[in-house]
Amino acid sequence: MSREIKEVFNILIASVGGQGGLTLSRTIAIAAVNEGHSVRTGETLGMSQRFGSVTSFVRIGPQNVVMSPTFSEGMGHVMVGLELTESVRNLRYLSEDGKILAADIVKPPITASLGTARMLSKDELVSALTSVDPEAVIVPARKIAYDIGNPRAVNMVMLGVFNRIFGILSDDAVVNAILTLLPGRRGETSVEAYKAGIKWAEENKAV
Amino acid sequence: MGNEAIARGVVESGIYVVTGYPGTPSSEVIMTLQRFGKDLDMYVEWAVNEKVAFELALGASIGGARSLVTMKAPGVNIASDPILSAAYCGVDGALVMLVADDPGPITTQTEQDDRWFSKLAKLPTITPSNPQEAKDYVKVAAMLSEKLQLPVILRTTTRVNHTVGDVVLGATEPPRKFKGFKRDPPRFVRAGMRWNLERHKWLNKQLEKVEDILNELGISINEAHGDGDVCVVTEGVTYNYVTEALNLLGVKEGTRVLKVGQLYPPPKEFLKKGLRGCRKVVVVEELDPYLEETVKALLYDEGINVDIHGKHDSLLPKEGELNILMVAKALSRVIGAPLPKTLQVSRETPALPPRPPPLCPGCPHRASYIAILKGISKAGFRRDEVPIFGDIGCYALSVEPPLNAIWTEHSMGASISMAAGMKLGGKDKPVIATIGDSTFFHSGIPALLEAVHKRVNMLVVILDNTVVAMTGHQSTPSWSVTETGRKVKPVLLEDVVKALGVDNLAVIDPFDVDDMANVVAQYLRKPGVNVIIARAPCALMKVRAEGVKTVYRVDPEACIGCMACIRGTGCPAMYINENGKAAIIEEDCTGCGLCAYFCPQDAIKKVRLK
Repeated sequence: MSREIKEVFNILIASVGGQGGLTLSRTIAIAAVNEGHSVRTGETLGMSQRFGSVTSFVRIGPQNVVMSPTFSEGMGHVMVGLELTESVRNLRYLSEDGKILAADIVKPPITASLGTARMLSKDELVSALTSVDPEAVIVPARKIAYDIGNPRAVNMVMLGVFNRIFGILSDDAVVNAILTLLPGRRGETSVEAYKAGIKWAEENKAV
Repeated sequence: MGNEAIARGVVESGIYVVTGYPGTPSSEVIMTLQRFGKDLDMYVEWAVNEKVAFELALGASIGGARSLVTMKAPGVNIASDPILSAAYCGVDGALVMLVADDPGPITTQTEQDDRWFSKLAKLPTITPSNPQEAKDYVKVAAMLSEKLQLPVILRTTTRVNHTVGDVVLGATEPPRKFKGFKRDPPRFVRAGMRWNLERHKWLNKQLEKVEDILNELGISINEAHGDGDVCVVTEGVTYNYVTEALNLLGVKEGTRVLKVGQLYPPPKEFLKKGLRGCRKVVVVEELDPYLEETVKALLYDEGINVDIHGKHDSLLPKEGELNILMVAKALSRVIGAPLPKTLQVSRETPALPPRPPPLCPGCPHRASYIAILKGISKAGFRRDEVPIFGDIGCYALSVEPPLNAIWTEHSMGASISMAAGMKLGGKDKPVIATIGDSTFFHSGIPALLEAVHKRVNMLVVILDNTVVAMTGHQSTPSWSVTETGRKVKPVLLEDVVKALGVDNLAVIDPFDVDDMANVVAQYLRKPGVNVIIARAPCALMKVRAEGVKTVYRVDPEACIGCMACIRGTGCPAMYINENGKAAIIEEDCTGCGLCAYFCPQDAIKKVRLK
């Protein structure tokens, strides 16, 4: 399923610290390198604590074309969001015809719970996404991950949906990358989650 | 990752001693090597602070072993004393010093530009622009270090350290250990002023050789495309932004790019040759106009008067990091090529609540600060008359609402000395210093000694989570086994604190909030230097080791929606649900129970997980 990439392909991953956004960016990077592409990733995150905003940039392309670890506003071809608030927060990175894949998860920041800032409702967040990409794919990723018994594998569910739609990487390369990064039982359930994401994309005609 | 590539470069360079103090974005070099444990036949361990780390590396290198020492930008300040003298005594085995700066800043207290430090310390410095070069330049630095007998600085920025990219590996080299050490006072004893003058002359001679050696290796690259008269001088990660920006603007043809890999001493011949014939020069670099000033001085000496753009004319900002778009906009202004339409997208994003990193669910620091704040009230003081001095570590996040705890966070160990200084300056109400265990070992010990010796009345709370948490869970001197599996002698905090002669000491579990608050209140009223060691393991580390056995759930029938739990803890596992009641995200809860402590309705119950 892998294909030749002539230009740089820019992927933005928006997540909350602890959701596995960085693991997701590394999985894509490893799979892409193993498929012979050149890769750069960059991330913007706080310290090693959890629950802050995390933005990861993944760039895949030919040698000597992909150079910068990040890309700028308006350059993203696709955004993979693991949480809706963070997906909306990062919309500025999407290009004119950028695509959105987002998990339907909302994690209200503590600033919202303390009443110091107004939180948008789930519907408001989703409509902010569809106003940019009318065909935005909103994935019930938490439910899918729960159903296979690994609620922490939302990132891998989204990887399945992403790769089924864009087909940039072969399934073998992705599975190998997952198992390289997450050895043991965690790797196995992550592969299951990846496959569940593919299945969801097929059944819901997101492809 | 760039840091993993540097780790590989270490193995390819025959380096034997690797040490440093953790600090983002430099930490993963040592962490990567430590994963291989004893198999590498190398000494790879964290040191108590950067000064000690540098001196360990220096000691190894003057004995002929090859060494690497790593630190983030502010660590250089801690280590600077031995570094400056090391330029005079020099080394025998290679000494490579990784200095990781942080434009942005993404995780650092200042945007310190350590290229100036290279100039101050007079140490040869090179910089990579991507993970491949990060690996290769360790080898270059080690080679240069042995040729010149000088420590060599490998200066990186976050976007190189933390970037994942494809890297072609080279062959490994067996580690070079101790060879011999001959007594040579003019080299190694800095008490002789005549010796120092001679060594300074020697140092300046060595620096003259740097460019010839490095030019042979192609560390600086002149990319001339066609006969254009615009010349871009750049270095490090910004070289990537320049290349992509020129491609986007469609003006790569006709532009000359000078990629400077040798930062100090500046590659004069390379720059002179490269700048010849240019009518316009743009210097693209992050932070200070270091290269820009270098280029200006050089062109002045050459009697060349051309337009030089960069920081001084505000084409590019002196603060923060650059990116492709910022560089493209700057180059488009100088070159006159229009910005492509695709880059002129502007989107309105609805206002969103910010998400600063909070203390984790189950973090013992949350409990400690709650107890400290309660203790202040119990002792009969107002919160606004007892300043809490903070220090470098996760606990600085207590500055955010709802805790609003610390008043200062300055530099490693400064909580204790600054609090003591305020008392010595005449403050009559109490002061509290809060400092993490690793930060205490790093720089807090001399500060506490000073407070004891000068008879300052103060409370010091050592927040002991038994690990260097913020930078990714590195070992502290209290561990009995290091990351590589080496058995070491654990140094206990209470032994150190007692030996310093403090007046009162208590060791408390901060999750016993009321007990700790009582001791805080008592110690605030007692004269002398009083110390509380608040000991509970880092929640992230504990969950990783033991898993989560119990969590808390809100009984929606009993919850009256008063939000005492959320306002008391600010725990990120909690939120207000659609019915206006408190709720807990179960997979984020680690079962500390602080929320239940605050609940007036007893509506938050402990649940044992199966």
